[in-house]
Amino acid sequence: MDKPFTDKLEASDVPKMEAEYQDLLKRVLAIQADCEIGGPHLYVRTILPTAPSKVDQLIVARTAAEEADHYRKVARLAGEVGLDLSHILSRPNQERYVNAFRGTITSWEEFAVFGFLIDRVGRYQLEEFIGCSFAPLDRILPDVIVEERAHIEYGQNKTAEFAARGGASKEKIQRVVNAWYAKALDMFGNSNSRRSERYRHWGLKRRTNTQARQEYIREVNPLIEAMGLSVPDPNVGREFV
Amino acid sequence: MTQAPNTQALDEHMKEMVLALHAAVNRAMPHLKDDPKLVDQALRDCEEILDVVLEGNVSEWLAR
Repeated sequence: MDKPFTDKLEASDVPKMEAEYQDLLKRVLAIQADCEIGGPHLYVRTILPTAPSKVDQLIVARTAAEEADHYRKVARLAGEVGLDLSHILSRPNQERYVNAFRGTITSWEEFAVFGFLIDRVGRYQLEEFIGCSFAPLDRILPDVIVEERAHIEYGQNKTAEFAARGGASKEKIQRVVNAWYAKALDMFGNSNSRRSERYRHWGLKRRTNTQARQEYIREVNPLIEAMGLSVPDPNVGREFV
Repeated sequence: MTQAPNTQALDEHMKEMVLALHAAVNRAMPHLKDDPKLVDQALRDCEEILDVVLEGNVSEWLAR
């Protein structure tokens, strides 16, 4: 393998880079922006009006505001390297890059588990860019990651509450965890992805898909068990392995 | 490489909408127990703003 790229670039440096770097940078920015705005598309219209209390409704609104702001920050960076991502705002859910964003969230349990499991993958994806070769992306991360952590914590607490109620509530949240766990693991991508290696070569990501997925599993499985829930079979319902 | 068209304008417009959302949430949070009308209005404002964001009619936003 050729020598890894370790320089730090500004937007003005990007046109001087090889086409592969430019393509991968634009791709990763497009996917990140798509995921940021993809979340609100899943739940705002269904969950904001129906959340169980006014405070929960306000938290849904604040979460969506923060995700829209993350989209804005990433789309701004993409714009600075010549990529217009405005069309992503209104893209139909079925056309989203990542499978987890292609449906609709219709229950409060799903919203909770989405925060617990999927926003956590989002945090992992953002952490891939810490110290990355595109310095403007590295600079937006601290604030974005703090907000993602709050979404995860809220979702985790709500998921734990459903589990703690026992009975039908616990059974339902287990089913929801099972469904979203598979989607969460798939979000890390194919274990044999060549593109993943090229991202690492160009200093755009730190870990392989497999490494990140394994770290996620090591983090999230004990949390699921601590709620008294069963860790889903990691091979069921998967699109990628 | 030149900046994509409308990068700055879209960024500024989005920022305004995000600030308006945060303002609505922050206006309502302290009054959850004592002013249900204010809270309901803030929630309606949030729904309205988020509808506009998710519709993503960027050409219309930037034409204003």
